[in-house]
Formats: sequence, C-alpha cells, structure tokens
Amino acid sequence: MALRTNFESKNEIGVFAKLTNAYCLASIGGSEIFYSTFESELAENIPVVHASLAGCRIIGRLCVGNKNGLLVPSSTFDQELQHLRNALPDSVKVQRVEERLSALGNVVACNDYVALAHPDLDRETEEIIADTLGVEVFKLTIAGNVLVGSYCVLNNRGALVHPNTSIVDQEELSSLLQVPLVAGTVNCGSSVLGAGLVVNDWIAFTGMDTTATEVAVIESVFRLNEAEPSRITQEMRASLIEGMS
Amino acid sequence: MSLYNFKKIAVVPTAKDFIDIILSKTQRKTPTVVHKQYKITRIRAFYMRKVKFSQQSFHDRLTQILTEFPKLDDVHPFYADLMNVLYDKDHYKLALGQINTARHLIDNVAKDYVRLLKYGDSLYRCKQLKRAALGRMATIMKRQASNLTYLEQVRQHLARLPSIDPYTRTIIICGFPNVGKSSFINKITRADVEVQPYAFTTKSLYVGHTDYKYLRWQVIDTPGILDHSLEERNVIEMQAVTALAHLRACVLYFMDLSEQCGHTLDEQVKLFQSIKPLFASKPLIVVANKVDIVKLDELTVERRALLKEIEDDSQLNVMEMSTVTGDGVMEVKIEACEKLLSFRVDQKMRTKKVDGIFNRLHVAVPKPRDNKERPPCIPESVLLKKQEEAEKRKRKLARDIEIEEGDDFVVDLAKEYTDIPEEERHDIIPEIWEGHNIADYIDPEIFEKLAELEKEEDIREQTGMYVTPKIELDETIKEIRNLASQIRAKKAILKEEARINKQSRKPVMPRTTRAKVRDRSVGKLRKSMENLGVDMSDTTDAHFTKTKQRTRSVGPVAKKARMDIQNTNTQSRGLTKPPRNEQGIKDLAMKKKLDKIAHRAISKKVARMGLKGEADRFIGTKMPKHLFSGKRGTGKTDRR
Repeated sequence: MALRTNFESKNEIGVFAKLTNAYCLASIGGSEIFYSTFESELAENIPVVHASLAGCRIIGRLCVGNKNGLLVPSSTFDQELQHLRNALPDSVKVQRVEERLSALGNVVACNDYVALAHPDLDRETEEIIADTLGVEVFKLTIAGNVLVGSYCVLNNRGALVHPNTSIVDQEELSSLLQVPLVAGTVNCGSSVLGAGLVVNDWIAFTGMDTTATEVAVIESVFRLNEAEPSRITQEMRASLIEGMS
Repeated sequence: MSLYNFKKIAVVPTAKDFIDIILSKTQRKTPTVVHKQYKITRIRAFYMRKVKFSQQSFHDRLTQILTEFPKLDDVHPFYADLMNVLYDKDHYKLALGQINTARHLIDNVAKDYVRLLKYGDSLYRCKQLKRAALGRMATIMKRQASNLTYLEQVRQHLARLPSIDPYTRTIIICGFPNVGKSSFINKITRADVEVQPYAFTTKSLYVGHTDYKYLRWQVIDTPGILDHSLEERNVIEMQAVTALAHLRACVLYFMDLSEQCGHTLDEQVKLFQSIKPLFASKPLIVVANKVDIVKLDELTVERRALLKEIEDDSQLNVMEMSTVTGDGVMEVKIEACEKLLSFRVDQKMRTKKVDGIFNRLHVAVPKPRDNKERPPCIPESVLLKKQEEAEKRKRKLARDIEIEEGDDFVVDLAKEYTDIPEEERHDIIPEIWEGHNIADYIDPEIFEKLAELEKEEDIREQTGMYVTPKIELDETIKEIRNLASQIRAKKAILKEEARINKQSRKPVMPRTTRAKVRDRSVGKLRKSMENLGVDMSDTTDAHFTKTKQRTRSVGPVAKKARMDIQNTNTQSRGLTKPPRNEQGIKDLAMKKKLDKIAHRAISKKVARMGLKGEADRFIGTKMPKHLFSGKRGTGKTDRR
C-alpha cells in the first residue's frame, strides 16, 4: 500500500520522516496532520515517534536506521537522544555518530541487511553502521551521484534508484542489495527519491504530487501489494512509455 | 500542458478607442508646457518628442497585436485549419498584413514629420507640423477600423476555443448528427456537453478528459457530419473534418442502427466510406449505438448486408453500445484506449524516443551472491491486520486530540515512552539544573546503585550506628541550665521593655476629647474652699480676688469658640446655615438615603476616573514642556 501525503504542503516527506520496519520518526510540525498520517497507518504495529534532531525538522535526512538501530548525527542534543531512547523499543540501538557528513540520511541508504554508503564516509562510521544496524556496507555511487541516500530507496523486498541509472549499474546494484531494483521517479518526475518517498516492508508514503504511474511502480517494486516487480515490464510498459516520452 | 493558449491575447481596441488611447497617452507622458520665447531648438525638441512618442506608442501597440495573434504557418496544422474554417485564412492574413502595413506607414509619417520639424522656425509652425503628423497617424489607424473589429472578434472566439493538445492521446468521436456522440462523451468524461434530441446540437468541438491505465486521455466530441462533398460542407461540419484530418487519434465512428437519428443505415455506411480517407493510418472503431432499441443481430438480412463490408474489414471492429443503458460504454472506451496506446507505443518504438528511458523499463533481478536469507520483516500484527482489513480503525489519533482540544493542544512527546510507568512518564526533567547538564549525570545503573546504598544503610542501622547515646544529667549541669533559662527570660522581658520605651512618650490626645473649658475662677475657688470647710467670709478683699484683667491683643473679634455646647446632636452653625449636604433634608432617614446615593455616585466617579478619592482633583501637566518649547512648524503643537 502506498499513500500520498505532504508535510506542510511540501512534497518532500522523506525529509521530515524516517520509516523502518521497527519504528517511524516524524518531525514536529505546526499541525498533527502529517504525524497522524503515519499514526493512523502504523501506530498499532510500530511506535510512531515525534522527533527532532539538533533542533531541526529535517530528521529524515539527518538520521539513518533500520529495525536494528538508529544512527543520529553528532549535533543531536542530549535530550533529543534521550527522548529517542525512551520512545523506541529496547531492541533498537540508538547511537550518535561523529561523522563529517552529518546528513546521514543523504549519505546512507539501507534496509535490514544491506547498506549503501557515500564513498567518502569515514571508516569508523562504516564500522558503526555495520555494527549498530547489522548490515553489510557497500561504498558506491548511484548514476554518478555520491548522495546514495538521496537517490536510492530500498526495503527488504525491492529498491528504487535514480532514473538515470544504467541497466548495467542496476544489475550490479541489484546483486549487491539482493533485491529486485527499478529506476524511477517520485513526485511527478523528481529524481530525488529519498526526499519524496519513505518505505518499509509493508507500506510506503510518497509526496502528494506523485503520479498514478509512479505509485504503481513503487507498489510493485517494493511488493506492497500482490503485484510482482515484473509487472513493470509487462502490463505497465505501455503506460510508462506513453507517460515518459 | 497547454501548448496553445489563445486565452492570453490582449484586447484589440476599436480604431476610435485606439486613437484615443494613444493620443491621451502622449498627452500624459510628454511635457505639456512650451512658450514661444523659448529657444527654437527647445521648441522643436518639444514637438519632435511628441511626434516620436505617439509613433512609438502606435508601433508598440500594433506590434503587440501582430505578435500575440497566432501565425497560421507556425501553429499546428490542426489549429491552422480550424482557424481557416472558422475565421477564413485569407481574411485573417490580410487583416494582420494590413495592420503591419499601417505600422510601417505610421513609422514613415513620423520620420517625415520629425525631419520637417527640424526646419520649423516658430512655435506656431512646429505646432502645426505636430498636429499634422498626429492627424495623419490617426487617419491611418481609422482606415484599419474594420480590421481591428475583425481581429477583436477573432480574439474573442479564439479565447473560447477548447484547449486541445494536438500531440496527446486523443479519442475523436464522429458520425451523423444525433447518433449519440455527445451522450457518449458525457458518459466517459465530465465534459458536460449539451444533449438534445435534434440534429446539430453540438456546433463546435468539445473536449473532455478521462483516465485509463494511469494516463489521461483527451476525448473530442465533434459536430455531426452529413454525407456530401467537401465543398458543400458548412463551418460546423468542417470543424469535425479538421479534427479528423489533423489529429493523430483513435477515431470512433458512431452509427445508429435504429435509424432514430433520421438517417438510414445505408446513408451512414456511405458517409463512412466517403470520409474513410480521413481515418487512414489511425486506429478506428465502428460503434453501433442505441442497441437498447435494435441489436446488431436483430437487424433484417438486407440491412445487415449493408454492414457486411465494414464487418468484414479485418482492421475494423464493430462494437455494440447503448449510452442509455450504459451497456458496452466502458468496453468501447477501454478498446479505444488500448488500440490507441499500442498504436502510439509502436510508433514511439520505431523512433529513438524510447531509448532514453529503456533503463526505467527494466527490472534488475538479483543474482544470489551468498546463501544468506533476507526475509522481509513485517510484524505479525500487520499481517493480521491485512487479513481483517474490513475492520474499522478505532485508535484516537493525535490529530483527533488536536481538533478536540483546539488551542490548548500541546504535543505530548512523552506519550511514546511506553516502558516508563504512566505516572512517571510526564515528569519534567530540565535540561540544565543548577548549572549541570542533566544528561551528563544520567546513570543507567542508578537503581542498582540505590539499592546497594540502601542495603549499606540498613547494615549501618542494624549495627546501631545512628543510635543516640543517653546523656546523664548531674547537679551542676541542672543548675547551669536553670540559670540559663532564667537569664533568657529576663532578656526577653528587657527586650520587650526596650521596645515599648522606644515608642513616643508624648501625651496622646484623642481626637474625641473635648476642649478644656476654662474653669478656674474666684467664685469656683471660693465655693470649693467652702465645701472643704474653709471660712471664706472675709475674703472679699482677699488678694486672690484682685486678679488683673488680662490684656487682649487688638485684632478681630475672636470667633466664638465651639465649646460648652450642651446639645451635641444639633449643629451649632446649623442654626444660621446648615452645610450644603444637609440643606433641605427632612429627617434622618432621608439623610441616610441621600448619603448612600452620594457615596455611590462618588465611588463611581472615583473608579471611572482612576482617582484616589473624592478629594483627588489631580490634573496632569497642562502645558507639557515638549509641546511648548523650541521651534515648531505649522500644526505641530498637539503632538510631536
């Protein structure tokens, strides 16, 4: 199931929320509409937590996490860290990372098993990611972009990457991640997938501008409904060609 | 989206308005005062400026018209043809051409007269030259009157044309009048075209949009077409023909098997054959409408034979539909969309357009690199919920609470602290306390440590560490204590006395005491002495009787002292003139009542004016220094 939502009429919901299989963080806005979108869908199953990091609302870009842990940048306040530790289940390790590239959400993309990281990431940070999140870390770029967290979104069943990724790169990435992978867009043609989309194994939230075709691609590649990713190459092929050229 | 937007063309004024606009603009935007004693160069420049300015204004305005109106050679052939049908290409081109010529003429007039103005030798002559120049420009514009009105009409009509995108996915509906074309578009889109039971209800093109397969489809309803040669067709029909000829679309040819439209099946088939060239290389579907009256199979053999040629064509398919009952409407739409989609995709595949997006049509499937299982982590509850999706949500959301509480709502951050007990969850922990960061002192093992400390404490208690030893009192100590308490008591008394003594010792004269009456007199002394038993009989000449009269200082007669008044209830002065608050008062009850009224009135005034009491007649500074000192201009005495 994929839902369209927006944060204070901004479509970049991935900036203001972080969604994993074990918890969901939503930033504190002027209204509860955004938070409640997540709350209504998720709160019965996983904690949906109001959060801010370093006093900022852009939590989705600042932190990275999966069901095993959550890494926050060094600028996080003590109280915020304590709040996260209080609110998240004990199985989730919350840790601060001393990293120069402090927007961890932009430089790391991960699911519960694999993480892709910015090539310039510190070795220590890489180790912390591997230990805390319990993942294998690969340093690479996506379609020439170093900000892998911004241009790639993945869950345990599929991945969506920057629309300019070549087929060879897609195959390579797919084998690294061990999930089916498709190049696509969100928010009516935006290639910044990380900003427009948050996803876990059973639900996705996208920006309000996301077109019907994009939602259909997202739902099938992340296996959010019964559709298989192969649907993209079969039934949806004509619509995609028509829509994109 | 809208490649062609004819709605933004500026209004074309009539010739008269045009001239008025430009002339008044010239008047407003150029200097208006000139005198004959000015230097002649200045006078010339003055008028030259006027001529040049009006020429430029005319030029700009005409150029605007020329650029804003679409050029028939530049727009999509569909629009070019449609405009030809509606406005007559020749007329349109001629009008714009003449406007262009007028622009040149005006430019030339201005050039000539500016040249002449250079030789103007007086104000009068210069003025006449300017008049002539503007007059000639106005005449040129007057001659364009008919063109301008024509262009204004075209503009108004263009603005009302439906915004048809000639490049997008389009479905065109065509056929005889009254076969149900508009009913169909109303069924599949929200175009809301007028439907009436007479021919040519639809007199122009209408556009609606529908969705299919995540895409948006443009549906065009055309006016009905009659079967005659192209030359005989009227403007209404020609619009339909234009759309059919130029739009690369899926064509739905509508037929009425029931012949209720007033045209026989034969005629309808003939029309189909005659406009068939327009359908060349386009996906085409023949739709047999009104099957609620006559179905295709119910037709008589002869009439069925008429359709045979169409039915036999392998490229064509005939679909049955009824817009009244809704049967087959969706099937027709889906079929049309599918046909057009595959047609367009085929065409795109042939060009190189698709190469750029091939990578997005590809699903990369992973090759296993190890034997590790990577299952999805979906909580049981989610799976359960998916199973019983019908169940409605019951949770009260933060948004609901927000709406409920309105302005009082605050985000409850502690709500999610599920492993902290409810009563402790909302305890306020300051970030900094007495200059210390609390977070630095948070100790996860605090409870263990506390328990350990308590245990130690217990041990200490058991060993009797805190038992106070009994102290034996002997005689000397008792004595000392006794003395000490006496000293303390004495000290307290002294302190208290000192406090009293420090207060004023002057006699206190209560306000209520009467003034002392002079009561020392010879008579009184004598009387009291007699009472005491002293013989006072021979004291008539006694020394004490010879009291000297006191001298009085010369001054005004002293007021009668208010003393020795027997009846205190009646006022001494009241005999002559009672105080004003007692004048005209009948009795005590009335006085009390009036007192009450007065008290109320006074307290009201005091409260209203913020006074301290009845006697407060405070008046703020009457002459504030800042308003009455220093220089001041007009009207600045009140506030500065």
